[in-house]
Amino acid sequence: MKINGTLINYYFHCKRQCWLCANRLNMEDESEEVRIGRVIHENMAMDNENSELNVENIKIDKITKEYLVEVKKSDADVQAVKWQVLLYLKILKEKGVERKGKIEFVEKNKQNSKTIYLELTQELEKELELLMEEIEDYIHKKNPSEVLNDKKCNKCSYYSYCYI
Amino acid sequence: MSSSTRYITSMGELSRKDNSLIFRNDKGHKYIPIEGVKVIYCLNEVSINSKLLDFLARNKIIVHFFNYYGYYSGTFYPKEAYISGKVTIAQVKKFEENRLEIAKAIVKGIGINIYEVLYHYYKHGYKELKPLLNWLNKETGIILNKLDNIKQVLYLEGSIWKRFYETFPIYLPEDFMFNKRVKRPPDNPMNALISFGNSMLYTKVISQLYKTHLNQGISYLHEPFESRFSLSLDISEVFKPVIVYKTIFELVNNKKIQVNKHFEKQLNYCLLNENGRKIFIENFEKRLESSFEHSKLKRKVTYNTAIKLEGYKLIKNLVEGEKFIPFNLKEKI
Repeated sequence: MKINGTLINYYFHCKRQCWLCANRLNMEDESEEVRIGRVIHENMAMDNENSELNVENIKIDKITKEYLVEVKKSDADVQAVKWQVLLYLKILKEKGVERKGKIEFVEKNKQNSKTIYLELTQELEKELELLMEEIEDYIHKKNPSEVLNDKKCNKCSYYSYCYI
Repeated sequence: MSSSTRYITSMGELSRKDNSLIFRNDKGHKYIPIEGVKVIYCLNEVSINSKLLDFLARNKIIVHFFNYYGYYSGTFYPKEAYISGKVTIAQVKKFEENRLEIAKAIVKGIGINIYEVLYHYYKHGYKELKPLLNWLNKETGIILNKLDNIKQVLYLEGSIWKRFYETFPIYLPEDFMFNKRVKRPPDNPMNALISFGNSMLYTKVISQLYKTHLNQGISYLHEPFESRFSLSLDISEVFKPVIVYKTIFELVNNKKIQVNKHFEKQLNYCLLNENGRKIFIENFEKRLESSFEHSKLKRKVTYNTAIKLEGYKLIKNLVEGEKFIPFNLKEKI
């Protein structure tokens, strides 16, 4: 499976989630959080013609003259979304489209600002390449990592699978 | 009753009307909003067309068909929503390499849940149940461990059910006595209840396993492809005492279902009548939608969800090697 935005995001959020998703073990999502997230994206797609762009295997929320924009419901896992956006920037760059990244959070809980800006530097690009290889190896492993046993598991759509 | 399940009990036509469903018959018409509907039961003669099926498939709605007499005829199963090659391969591999592990776990689970159901009556003074309770508690596990082929496991399963049926005269009213389990067609009221209940449970399992990645044709206790969804037959087993028999015992002992009111009796068969089916379904649904605190998840789950969790447990066994322990009524896991 080609590494897409979801997988790289999951890899930072929870490796097990990444493995399960990459191996097509997607759960029936009853999670309210997931529903809200989906509605946010649907609403945005209706408001804006430049939204929901499919490039190769990635889905881009919005693209402007200067920015590639990723919209998230909450800022619960900033690290994960940063790498997701960096991956998008890299794929766009390979297509000859250079942009900066902009992340918009609908709710902010952990951070002060609702928007984060970032750029794909050469250094980050190298780091990203290594990371992709690492993820590739990981998802081809026979078994996923152990259950995290973290508070954030409570909200995950994999909760009943992991904890049963 | 769960709002995601709709029952159609009278004759008529079900069709698509704009982006919703409509049910029409001589008595008039009724809109069924599609939002939130996951399963529809057609318990009578219902006309449909392919335009409707396409609409249902796009909304991932499953339809179970029963004929006028309450016999299960089949399921309209929208194209698979959850597919994982990894799980299918693991299912086959397990069947070839260690089918007995799952089959034995299921039979053990049946025994444990029957024990729990009977223990309730034992506590209420039916001391005659003691020998069977002892056998279930102490011996079946030991016997099971020694078995090394599927025929023997199936034989033990058969004995467990047989001994369970033999306890009915102890705590059920006399007019519901039956000689032995007769399936097609059921020949007396108790067999009619069991047949209808088991078919209903089977369809519930099909609907729940649809939400998992399991291939319903690959089973362990039942022969695979014995029926199209033989894995659903496997998963049904441990829930029969919990859902089907507890519902029957309650209805019969509280006289909510009566021999002279709720059955159609012919020379060689006996079936629940329309009203009888309605009463059964209402109570069956209530039981499935009742919830309990799951010992492992530390959350409230309904029995219906517990069926889906069985699917997850099996996947976990297949993919990650975790021990498969079927639903246990006592431990609530």
